[in-house]
Amino acid sequence: MLTLLSMFYYICLRRRSRSGTRGEALHSRRAVESGQRAALPVSPEVEQYAKEVLDFSSHYGSENSMSYTMWNLAGVPNVYPSSGDFTQTAVFRAYGTWWEQCASAPPRFCRTPPGFHSQDYIELAYEEPVYPTAVEVLETYYPGAIVQIQACSLNPFSQNTPSDVRWEVLWSSEPTKVLTPQARQFSPAIKQISFPTNLLRLEVNSSLQQYYTELDAVILRGVRDRPILTLYKRPVIDVGDLSDSDEELADMAAACRYGSDEGPPHATGNGHFDRLPYELIQLILSHLTLRDLCRLAQSCKLLHQHCCDPLQYTQLSLQPYWARLSDASLGHLQSRCALLQRLNLSWTGNRGTLTPSGFTSFIKVCGSSLVCLELSCCHFLSEACLEVVSQSCPGLQELNLSSCDRLHPLAFTHVSKLTRLRRLVLYRTKIEQTAILSILTFCIELRHLNLGSCVRIDDYDVVASMLSARCRSLRSVDLWRCRNLTERGLAELVSGCRTLEELDLGWCPTLQSSSGCFQHLARKLPRLRKLFLTANRSVCDADLEALADNCPSLQHLDILGTRMVSPPALKKLLQSCPKLLLLDVSFCSQVDNRNVQELSALFPKVAIKKSFTQ
Amino acid sequence: MLSVLSYGRLVARAIIGGLSQAESRDFSLVTASCGFGKDVRREEERMRGRGEEERRKMTSYGDDACFTARHSSADVLGVADGVGGWRDYGVDPSQFSGTLMKTCERLVKEGRFIPSHPVGLLTSSYYELLQNKVPLLGGSTACIVVLDRQSRRLHTANLGDSGFLVVRGGEVVHRSDEQTHYFNAPFQLSIAPPGSEGAVLSDSPDAAGSTSFDVLLGDIIVTASDGLFDNMPDYMILQELTKLKGSSYESIQQTARSLAEQAHILAYDPNYMSPFALLACDHGLDVRGGKPDDITVLLSIVAEFTD
Repeated sequence: MLTLLSMFYYICLRRRSRSGTRGEALHSRRAVESGQRAALPVSPEVEQYAKEVLDFSSHYGSENSMSYTMWNLAGVPNVYPSSGDFTQTAVFRAYGTWWEQCASAPPRFCRTPPGFHSQDYIELAYEEPVYPTAVEVLETYYPGAIVQIQACSLNPFSQNTPSDVRWEVLWSSEPTKVLTPQARQFSPAIKQISFPTNLLRLEVNSSLQQYYTELDAVILRGVRDRPILTLYKRPVIDVGDLSDSDEELADMAAACRYGSDEGPPHATGNGHFDRLPYELIQLILSHLTLRDLCRLAQSCKLLHQHCCDPLQYTQLSLQPYWARLSDASLGHLQSRCALLQRLNLSWTGNRGTLTPSGFTSFIKVCGSSLVCLELSCCHFLSEACLEVVSQSCPGLQELNLSSCDRLHPLAFTHVSKLTRLRRLVLYRTKIEQTAILSILTFCIELRHLNLGSCVRIDDYDVVASMLSARCRSLRSVDLWRCRNLTERGLAELVSGCRTLEELDLGWCPTLQSSSGCFQHLARKLPRLRKLFLTANRSVCDADLEALADNCPSLQHLDILGTRMVSPPALKKLLQSCPKLLLLDVSFCSQVDNRNVQELSALFPKVAIKKSFTQ
Repeated sequence: MLSVLSYGRLVARAIIGGLSQAESRDFSLVTASCGFGKDVRREEERMRGRGEEERRKMTSYGDDACFTARHSSADVLGVADGVGGWRDYGVDPSQFSGTLMKTCERLVKEGRFIPSHPVGLLTSSYYELLQNKVPLLGGSTACIVVLDRQSRRLHTANLGDSGFLVVRGGEVVHRSDEQTHYFNAPFQLSIAPPGSEGAVLSDSPDAAGSTSFDVLLGDIIVTASDGLFDNMPDYMILQELTKLKGSSYESIQQTARSLAEQAHILAYDPNYMSPFALLACDHGLDVRGGKPDDITVLLSIVAEFTD
């Protein structure tokens, strides 16, 4: 009788813990917590500001500056509670959907898990590991971009490297639209974790933001002693773990125990599944996320055959699983990826989970049909990795090495062997002059090139000259913060690359409008769709006139920070460019808020941006 | 007998220990600032409603700006004199000097500088001004003084006609060199409107003159814009400094204030032959009286470092 009752209780509890929603469970947990808290003595709470910024995917500012760069997120806040576009905040490179609308944006990978929305990330280290009770983010401009906060069990300041590095999600949400750009203190309800942490990771999605989101500081509140409440066992919600061998066994056992309706695993009959055509099952499976696909593979022989079919793995995005992806996982997937065409390994290899040898052995087996390879923020990459890529992926057309700033400059010489390259992203890498010239000599099919914030390139005029000579089909080039491009280089570029549609010349200080370079540009590029002249203080009315007269397809224009543009010239531009969608006139001193309101009323389809500091 | 010897040894050890400790203790600067803007009416507007505490922490006087900052290894102070001529072109000169000094302060607080290389601090600060989305215009001189606490050396960088004096035992032992292109046109950092770069004086931060020297306890450092030095000759400044008693913040504040006040009064005296007037006469200009100008004085004493 007793055993029956206890079994009954056990089954009920397990069922409740399985079916309870996360929000519900959190609420019930909080109720318990608050009840308990009254009874037990509370250990003192420690409040810390970030000590150091360890890693991040992008930022707006210049590499050796403290203006609008990610390093501002460490330490005490400089701006909060003021709102506005200040230099002392941390700003990411992009916002909204403007960059996704460009031709240079890569097509999305399929099978993205519905809970994964992150576009950028930043990792912060604190002085002392604590059990976190609260994380407060001080956002000072267009808040609301944070979609995930995670904590790591590793102490980045300790000398010994533990074998098991765990990342736990403290809080996660879909991107939400916040209506006002005003500063706010964002403190979501975080989950209790079972280990002390001094390494936080914030993931950000700015696609719903009206302008650049800016962060000032991140406060970590926690207790030194392990709270007794964590004795309450809760199913840990993982970010998405890929089945490696241990979990496969566990899952297989689970699958067997709870039974599958697909029939016994021997050769005679799989029930209705035998009636379905092979391609139809394949089509159904193509909608599953990668995790579910791996788990489904353990259910029965037929589905195992389907799930391991290389046709299911022509596109593989492992970015959502960056925290857990290891050499073993890659090895496990190797057998299924013979027909792999598009591979996304961005953000993976965090803290040694992936090594160059694991990566190279995977690429050697699966790289022959590879067309697109995304390796953004892959800090495990070495020169040998790029060498193997250049040898094993002869048909590679897209390569993204954005923010691989630990990659040695010599590694980029191997990229010139990929002669079929069409899209190359080298944002924030340490590529040097000889390597980029070598790449441009051989990769003549380049359509999209991103050399933003490449500080080690000595002479951009020579680079522009080489582009115009060799890469005649160039459609977009991003030269954000290229420090010494002059009107000579620009003139050669626009003369040689007549199909250019997108040109980002933001923060290039050496381009002077008085040389006529922008008017020349407008006349030479009738197909121009995107032009960023951010913080080029010499842009004037004559340049806008030239654009109005010659570039009817213009969609995105950024002329931030010039004193020489007047509202009538803007009006003429808006009239002549009916396809214009984005116009950034922030800090243009002749254009005030009233002008912007009037123009917005006349041209409602155009998003006219005017940033403010107070 | 033995106890006397052992006692003596203890005492000797204590004395030597005490001496060596004094040898290795760090120095620091105790600094107070005071000043007056040239446009009396504008300054009264700004001072209205500000308490004594706030007035002490002010960092700009007219078109002049100053800052003091501490880092773990150094004490830094600086003064910048905004070039007034920009007002004729619709640019507020105090914006450039103020932003320059605030940026220097931030760079020091975040440790993005090398104490023995203050010209580097000036260069970084100027570079950061160019990284601002807001299109800053204007120009200013700059003088930066850095005390490296452990090495007890003073490192300075001066661009233009602001400057510093180091006074030891009632005498000037170090002074900055004034840098001018021609009369009343000092070296200056500036950001010009595009196209006018040729018409505007714009010197590179590398053109700053820099010096380094050791300092002793009790050295007095007067860092000021030309509003002080053009109105008060050395002997008057030294006279004021003799009134400085001790190294408490209050007495330094009082002396700084009296220096600034005296310069302010002399500036508006029409018959007084100020250093500015004397220099003008040397250049063949018949000028008398003081030079009405923004005055900023930073007065520092080298003292022992206490946390």
